[in-house]
Parts: sequence; C-alpha cells; structure tokens
Amino acid sequence: MIRFTNINKVYKPTTHALVGVSFHVKPGEFVSIVGSSGSGKSTLAKLLFAEERPTSGKIVVGDWDITQIHRSEIPTLRRQIGVVFQDFKLLGRKTVYENVAFALEVAGAANARIKEVVPQVLKIVGLGDKHGRYPNQLSGGEQQRVSIARALVHRPKIIVADEPTGNLDTVTSREIIELLKKINEFGTTVVLVTHDRDIVNALKKRVLTINNGKIVSDVEHGKYMLG
Amino acid sequence: MRTILRVIKFTGQSLWRNAWLSLITLTIFVLTLMTVNAVLLVNVVTSSAIKAVQNEVQVAVYFVPGTSEATEKAVRGYLLGLSQVKTVEVITAEQALQNFKDKNAGDPTVLAALDEVGGNPFGDAVVVSAKSPDDFAFIIEAIKTPEFAPSIKQTDYTDYQVVIEKLTSFTDKLRLAGLVLAGFFGLISMLIIFNAIRIAIYVHRDEITIMKLVGAQDWFIRAPFLLEAVLLSLLATIIMTGVVLASTKALDVPLMQYFGQANLSLWGYFTSNALVIFGGEFVGLAVLSVLTTVFAIRKHLRV
Ligand SMILES: Nc1ncnc2c1ncn2[C@@H]1O[C@H](COP(=O)(O)OP(=O)(O)OP(=O)(O)O)[C@@H](O)[C@H]1O
Ligand SMILES: [Mg+2]
Repeated sequence: MIRFTNINKVYKPTTHALVGVSFHVKPGEFVSIVGSSGSGKSTLAKLLFAEERPTSGKIVVGDWDITQIHRSEIPTLRRQIGVVFQDFKLLGRKTVYENVAFALEVAGAANARIKEVVPQVLKIVGLGDKHGRYPNQLSGGEQQRVSIARALVHRPKIIVADEPTGNLDTVTSREIIELLKKINEFGTTVVLVTHDRDIVNALKKRVLTINNGKIVSDVEHGKYMLG
Repeated sequence: MRTILRVIKFTGQSLWRNAWLSLITLTIFVLTLMTVNAVLLVNVVTSSAIKAVQNEVQVAVYFVPGTSEATEKAVRGYLLGLSQVKTVEVITAEQALQNFKDKNAGDPTVLAALDEVGGNPFGDAVVVSAKSPDDFAFIIEAIKTPEFAPSIKQTDYTDYQVVIEKLTSFTDKLRLAGLVLAGFFGLISMLIIFNAIRIAIYVHRDEITIMKLVGAQDWFIRAPFLLEAVLLSLLATIIMTGVVLASTKALDVPLMQYFGQANLSLWGYFTSNALVIFGGEFVGLAVLSVLTTVFAIRKHLRV
C-alpha cells in the first residue's frame, strides 16, 4: 500500500530530516511511527500526502509512484489519503456537519452524496447527535472526532494521523486511538505518528522508530523503544 | 455546474465577510470609471461645440450696389468652382434690407436713419461656407482677384479659427488631465484590489489549508478570488452606467439650451454607444483587476 525506497529529505539549506528511509506498509496495516521531537516523523507523513517532496528516493502509494507527482494530481492523491492533525484544523464558523460537508463540497461532490455520506461518517465517529454544534461547543476529543470524520468522507484507503492525541488527555487519547483502530478494522490502512509511549504500548501493532531521520527499528507488535 | 455554484457561494461569502474592503474596492473602481467617463463627456461636448462653431464659419461678400447680374453670377460661379467652398448662398439687396430692418426692429433711431438715407443702401451679397475652417484664409485671398475687386465692396468674416484653436488646445489639455487622472485611479485600483485579494486570502487561510488537504483542485481554490475581481468590476460598471445615464438624461435639456443645439444629446451619445462604452469599461476594468488578482494569488496563495 505504501512503499518508501531510500528516501532522503533535505530542507534547505542543511537540515537532513530523513536519511535513507525505506519501509513498506501492507494494505490494512496499522503502523505507528515514533521518535523524539525533530526526528523527522511529520516530514515522513507530509511526504505521504505530497505536502513535501523527497530530495531523493521513491515513494509509491497503492500502485501510484508519487515521487514526482504533478501538482494537478495532488488533489486526486489527497482524496485517497485522509489526514488528521494535532490541532484538528476545524473551521470555527462552521458547524460539525458543515465542517465535514466542506471537504466534500470543495472536492466537487454531489449534494445528494454529501447528504448521504456526512451523517454516516459522523455516526462512525460517535457524533451522530451533534451535527449542529460549533467547534467551540465541543470537547477536544469531540473536535478530533470531527476531523477524523472529515478525513473519512472520501472513503480513503489510508489515514495519516500526525499526533492526533497531542492536545488530549490520557482517557480521551485512548478513545481516539480506539476510533482509529475501529477504522483500521474496516480495512483502512492507518499511519499514526505519535510520541505517546502508553498509546504505542497499548496498541500492540507495528512500530517504526525514527531517530535523527533514520529508521532505527521496525517491529511487529512493538513497544516504544526510546527513552 | 455544481462546482460553479459553489464557487459563486464562496465568492459571495468572501465579499460579505470583507464587506468594508469590498466597498472600498468598489468605490475606487467607480472613481476610475468616473474619470474615464468624464473624459468621454468632455470629448463629446467639445467636439460638438467645435463642430457647431465650424458650421457657423462663413464669409459674407458684399457687392457694390448696382453690380450687374452677370458679374454676380460670375463671382458665384468662381466661388463654387473652388474646391474649398461648400455652399454659396445669395442674399439679395431686398433681403439684406429686410434682415437689417428685422434685426433693428426695436430701435427707432436706426430705422429713422435708414429712412433718412432713402432707398436701399444695401447691395446684393453672397454668403460662403467653407468645407473646413482652415480654408477661409484661402477663400478670402481668392476673392481679392483683380477681376472682381471693383465689384466687391467688402468681405466680412469672423475669425473663428482663433476661437477653435483656443477651444481645441483647452480641451486637449482637459483630456490629458482626465487621462492622467484615470491612469492614476487605475493604478490605485490595482493597488487596492491587490491588497483586497491579499487580505481575502489571509482571512481564508484556514479554509484554503483545509481545502488543499481534502483534495480541492487548485482552480477551485483560486476561482472565488478571480470571480470576486470580476464581480466587483461588473458592479462598479453597473453603478457607473446608472450614474452616467441618469445624469446625462438630466443634463441634456439644459445643455441643449445652452449650446442652442438640438444635436448635442449626451444621453443619446451614451445610449447609442452603450455597448462599446460600458462594455469596454467593464472589460478593461475586469482585465485590470483579474490580472492584479492573478498576481496577488501568485504571490500570496501557495497552492
Ligand atoms: N519546512 C521546513 N523547513 C526547514 N526545516 C524543517 C521544515 N520542517 C521541518 N524541518 C526540520 O526537519 C526536522 C524534522 O522535522 P519534523 O517536523 O519532521 O520532526 P517531528 O519528528 O515531526 O518533530 P515533532 O515530534 O516535534 O513534531 C527538524 O529538524 C525540523 O526543524
Ligand atoms: Mg511533528
């Protein structure tokens, strides 16, 4: 599903964010990417949805070599990869429903499809009864659920979550991770970037550890290796 | 179609959210168009005034009383033979006397003086119109030919040429000033639309980020800003069209009275050339603002 081959990423002038990174993620896998701050985790995630381009190496998503992806093809890629961030990135002037619908609207989906899909994904994330709330009327965990719902509207093959629990307390974090696990069980490949040791240990899924831009370990049913 | 409707919706939201900025942009657009229309207006008024003056440029040639019919005919033929001459109108001595009496009907002393003289002091005359005011000097010289000189008492003409030259140089200056002003407002328009779009991009930065992340196409993200520029141009043109039509309609009658000319209808001018004038203004303004917007997007919207 995802294949990185010998990826190097250099931010100008001299930051070597990723050095010779190679790995493969199979369809339906749940992979955690861990590492200390500045180790290159977010960079890796950004390469996946073409927010950044590799300096060298090759990236394949599905059957698609996105290494030299053309700007005009990026929207197509992003409809196949749902993204979730630490800061939720919700629009404060829009309701829960509108925030989720927005992703479909701007991608040109039919109104009928929007009416069908939005309630579905909101139900999946457990917000079926909060369509009309505004983000500031929601808890952090609920806001993150909205952003996960939004990531699901295009029925993506992959979800990339960059520290989705970074702003949440332990209990809420666990709930969000449970939600991601549920989504993964439906068949979606999940790439989770985190440095929360407890989460990784509880997950008992594959763990890729990065340090200084290099993959230092890759274990099935792994544990947090650093610190 | 659906996406076009959404682009329109987003554009409307953007205009509304930055209502003040939209209003300022609109105002400066209207001002730009106003100066352009003022230049047009000055053009129409002065060119029709000049035409009016030109039409009145005539040389009157008075014959010595008692000049023979044959000589007069020869002079007329001679004048009509000149390529610079447009028309030659005959005023007989009787007509001249009558005209003089009519003109001075309210002045008993003049009429009394006329009686004193007795008979008709006037001779026949011809009134010559030239094709162009530039030709008058030539016509006046031509009439001085020795062949006819003894029969001609007097030639009389008003030196409209000087008036026209003054008028032309004045309106040229006025037009230049208008164009400079229009250029100035055009420049300000570009600066303002540039900043308006920059601010609109800033205000929508969160939406733009999210749009990009959820796979909106570049054109869809850009289109509302371009449409905003076009819509503001259109709105400014509509407002200005209304103002121009209303004010020329109101001005027409007093202007016609002032110039004493039925053919000077500003309203008529603007309505019969409406498509060219207002259409052209819209296209010009839209092109200007869209180009500026493209520039602002290039600079500030990293898609
Ligand atoms: N746009 C950028 N320009 C220049 N350097 C950058 C840029 N983005 C990241 N870096 C640098 O690349 C390195 C890796 O950054 P990255 O964001 O991938 O780290 P991270 O593992 O996500 O860290 P954190 O856990 O703090 O989020 C850091 O040294 C960072 O300063
Ligand atoms: Mg990071």
